[in-house]
Amino acid sequence: MKYNILIGGAAGQGSNIITDIVSEGLLNKGYYVFYSRDYQSLIRGGHNFNLLSFSDEPVYSNSSGIDILVCLDSKTEDIHKKALKKNAIVLSGSNPNMFFAGQIYKILGIELEILEKQMKKLKNFVENMKEALKGYNSEKRNLGLPKLNQNAHGGLRFMTGSQAIAYGALKSGLDLYYAYPMTPATPLMMELGQMQLEKDSRHKVIELESEIAVINAALGSNLLGSKAMIGTSGGGFDLMTESLSLAGMAEIPLVIYLSQRPGPSTGVATYTSQGDLNLALHAGHGEFSRIVIAPGDSKESIEKTNECFYLSQKYRVPCILLGDKHLAESKQSFESELDLREVESSIVKPERFNSYEADEDKDEIASEEAGVIKKNHDKRLKKQKIIEKDIENFEAYKTFGNTNSKNLILSWGSTKGSIIDALKILEEQDKSAKFIQILIVEPFSRKIISELNKAKKIIVVENNSTSQLSRLLAEKAQIVVDDKNKILRYDGRPFLSDELAEEIRRRLK
Amino acid sequence: MKKQEKNNKKSGKEKLANVRTTAIPTWCPGCFNFMILAGFERFLQEQIKLGKKKEDFAIVSGIGCHAKIFDYINLPGINSLHGRGIPTAIGMKLAKPELNVFEFAGDGDAYAEGMEHLIHAARYNSNFKLVVHNNQVFALTVGEPSPVTEEGFKDKTNPMGVKLKPLNPIKLMLASGASFVARVFADVNQIQQVLNEAQKHKGFAFIEVLQPCVIFHPDTNYKAHAYNLQEAKHDKTNIKAAMERAEEFDYDVLKSSTKIPLGIFYQKERATFEDILKR
Repeated sequence: MKYNILIGGAAGQGSNIITDIVSEGLLNKGYYVFYSRDYQSLIRGGHNFNLLSFSDEPVYSNSSGIDILVCLDSKTEDIHKKALKKNAIVLSGSNPNMFFAGQIYKILGIELEILEKQMKKLKNFVENMKEALKGYNSEKRNLGLPKLNQNAHGGLRFMTGSQAIAYGALKSGLDLYYAYPMTPATPLMMELGQMQLEKDSRHKVIELESEIAVINAALGSNLLGSKAMIGTSGGGFDLMTESLSLAGMAEIPLVIYLSQRPGPSTGVATYTSQGDLNLALHAGHGEFSRIVIAPGDSKESIEKTNECFYLSQKYRVPCILLGDKHLAESKQSFESELDLREVESSIVKPERFNSYEADEDKDEIASEEAGVIKKNHDKRLKKQKIIEKDIENFEAYKTFGNTNSKNLILSWGSTKGSIIDALKILEEQDKSAKFIQILIVEPFSRKIISELNKAKKIIVVENNSTSQLSRLLAEKAQIVVDDKNKILRYDGRPFLSDELAEEIRRRLK
Repeated sequence: MKKQEKNNKKSGKEKLANVRTTAIPTWCPGCFNFMILAGFERFLQEQIKLGKKKEDFAIVSGIGCHAKIFDYINLPGINSLHGRGIPTAIGMKLAKPELNVFEFAGDGDAYAEGMEHLIHAARYNSNFKLVVHNNQVFALTVGEPSPVTEEGFKDKTNPMGVKLKPLNPIKLMLASGASFVARVFADVNQIQQVLNEAQKHKGFAFIEVLQPCVIFHPDTNYKAHAYNLQEAKHDKTNIKAAMERAEEFDYDVLKSSTKIPLGIFYQKERATFEDILKR
């Protein structure tokens, strides 16, 4: 079973609060929850909505069709009524937002005491509880959902990608987070900012005058042994690239969170895209090593942030954590066990660093000698080889679906959830495929190449218009993906699992 | 005072700390950067003599002729990017507030490519010391005008001559809230003295060093126009008086009446960036 609840209204009306309250209630009842946010680049007014999918089994994405439509304004009903399923419930009317929360709780059969617990988290408890109760008591419909005895009633973690990255950074010993606000990287800045208020917190969040200041300040901190991280989106990352090359030359560890949104240029500020894979892989002048890791969900956002810290320190390289708006803003439940490493700073004593090619045997003095230039290039090439070898000891990719299938679906990043849910739909139709999610995009694991060579048909799924992953496959594995086997969505929206399942089904052998 | 004299006497026999690398400077013969190098070297040696360790200091530079000072002074730190030494120094101070960070920049670094950082460093009051080698020209790229080059200056890239008026960095720094604003000439003693004062100052210190470039912007007899602010009994705690003094020299072509005030224009301590962010 899977239900979809759409909660929509104007910006500032409280769709987010209601979605969180409903999510917490469902988690408590033993269900798995996933919700994505669709919002415009404005502060008040407009039309925003959250699409919440829940199930008795793990759920990683949204699907089309609405079971419960919650309209905080009349516009919401006009826009979304065409997506209503048969027998769908529509909640509307000019009620306060907590009235709706009460109504939904009644429909979903969530206990009143849980509702009260949620209301207590809000500022005006008495007033909000009064409205919620009114909504609860006025509602007669009930879906008759059973209480499930799994997940020890809310024993799952429930986080957005941004919250998960913040958690992963703190678990890795983050000292300083430098940033200049830019959607969709800003939610991480906010999370880390708020976390400064927690007892025992020791990290600092510092907003500087530009992305250029941000990356150079982080390099200044890290060359003294700090664990500083920075975050931005495409445009801000562009500004940072000269210093990305400096990190490569001077061999200063740095974790850079690149949260993608549709480009080129300012593009679409609050929607999603995977258009910056090429940017992450190729930004910066000259030849130097980098590591690019793309988590696909909230759990991986914790673990891969930690891996970025670990690897950037181990090899003194810039490590790019490649996310996007869909990952950053979607919230999902997941098992609490985590695989994390201790991160030690690799710079423990004062050292000298240079943006020039420099002679390490002579106090790191700038050098124009042919011998030194070649020696340094050889040193960097050797380091690249070592990293490439070591990457095989890390989780470069994950395999899902029918591992014996000759149909191979390949993707990276936040498309993961929709693909896994699409495979489940295909299984119900007796169709199957193998899905490989690439986690470490650079260096490219040799094991992925051998997986590719075993496949009869390769289908690439991406949120961009040119299939940048296909280009990477051509470069790394000399594999040309047939244009008709590229499933690309580039309207700023994430894939819906049922629509994607249909796209995949049409291409299966 | 007596104690210091005693120390000096005693140290007369002591060997001064070696703060230099093995590199042989590649600045042009007669370059005024040698004066800045010597001034900084003497400052460091004196600090070490007074009990500080070499590891208590760090050096940052940008890109340009000035930046070679990184190759000659053997301190931990980084020869950073053009214009980006300032945020680098800010990051270093946030990582290790106890470290004494000295950044060297050129007029291209500080007043062109990295102007945004200069203004904000003054606003933040990040507790590092910035020395701007101002030779009023891009020297390492063979003589193009910088934002502080005088009107009429000609080079191969603009044979018709500069049509713009130069920027006044002292006024800019005063307006940006810098807590220490000084200007000296590229003279060993002046540099050592102002570094001593800056070291004692808790907060961002902006020190501009006026220097000719022997190849692309030769000396137009600065010294004849210069006077010392402290000798002239300038009140360095008075921002209005500082602004008036700053306006006496506009960095344009020197006239017979031009006066160039040197010394500390303004000094007033306030909370540093590192203090504000400490919890």
